[in-house]
Amino acid sequence: MTPDMFFLLSSVLFSIGLVGLVARKNLFVMYMSIELMLSSVNLLLATFSKVLGDASGSVIALLMIAVIAAEAALFLALIIHMYRSSRTLNSDHFDKLAEGK
Amino acid sequence: MLEISIFTILATFMLGGSIAMITNKQTLLSAFGFLVAMIGLAGMFALLESRFLAIAQIMVSVGAIVVLSMLTILTINAKEENLPLEPNKYKWMIFASLLVLPITALMYKSMASAYASFATMETINVKVVGKLLFSEWVLPFEIVSILLLTAMVGAIVIARKDEIPTEAKKS
Repeated sequence: MTPDMFFLLSSVLFSIGLVGLVARKNLFVMYMSIELMLSSVNLLLATFSKVLGDASGSVIALLMIAVIAAEAALFLALIIHMYRSSRTLNSDHFDKLAEGK
Repeated sequence: MLEISIFTILATFMLGGSIAMITNKQTLLSAFGFLVAMIGLAGMFALLESRFLAIAQIMVSVGAIVVLSMLTILTINAKEENLPLEPNKYKWMIFASLLVLPITALMYKSMASAYASFATMETINVKVVGKLLFSEWVLPFEIVSILLLTAMVGAIVIARKDEIPTEAKKS
């Protein structure tokens, strides 16, 4: 077991999250892709914590989990609000800010 | 050798779950893929010997975030016609993968072979994490608590149904 395996897995997970965020239009899938990207950074922090023999990386990852929880609460509330106002989960529908182009 | 096989199994679960997450049309099945990926991540933390992080991951990510997402999906109960039509989903995905691939290679390249092996250290248990959290990292800890409070209030305000009657509307 070498650190390189964890680095590779974390990069690939981040990229999968990025692809999901770019290629899909479903709001829920976009939200879960963002969560996946944040979680892959968490994995990287834990790996560096073990590589360097320093527990601070784990503490940062712990704080990151709290930030992820806050983001999840806000994003889900936002999705509920958006669905209630226009009855769709299509992210292309919410382009009011682009109207003045 | 045992560690490598555990890593392989967990990595397969995580990659499979995340790919299922971004390819499924049904939102609930995507959430199940996300659940598998999060449980695999908790296993990875345990493999990296940060025990407390693994427990926190299970409790917060799996127990709270994924369950909350599933509850939201079930509450919204979007019908087939409310989901976005994505006829060219796989084409877009392949295109985006080709675009993202160099970034992945760059990320891996910048980190790979910088560290040959893991440092030999004790298991990161609750005692070590707690001491660090309340000595060196106490300011970020307090800021995170304020952030959580703000997010809670914000989520309640955003998701509420009725409008607040203000003074201007009453008169």
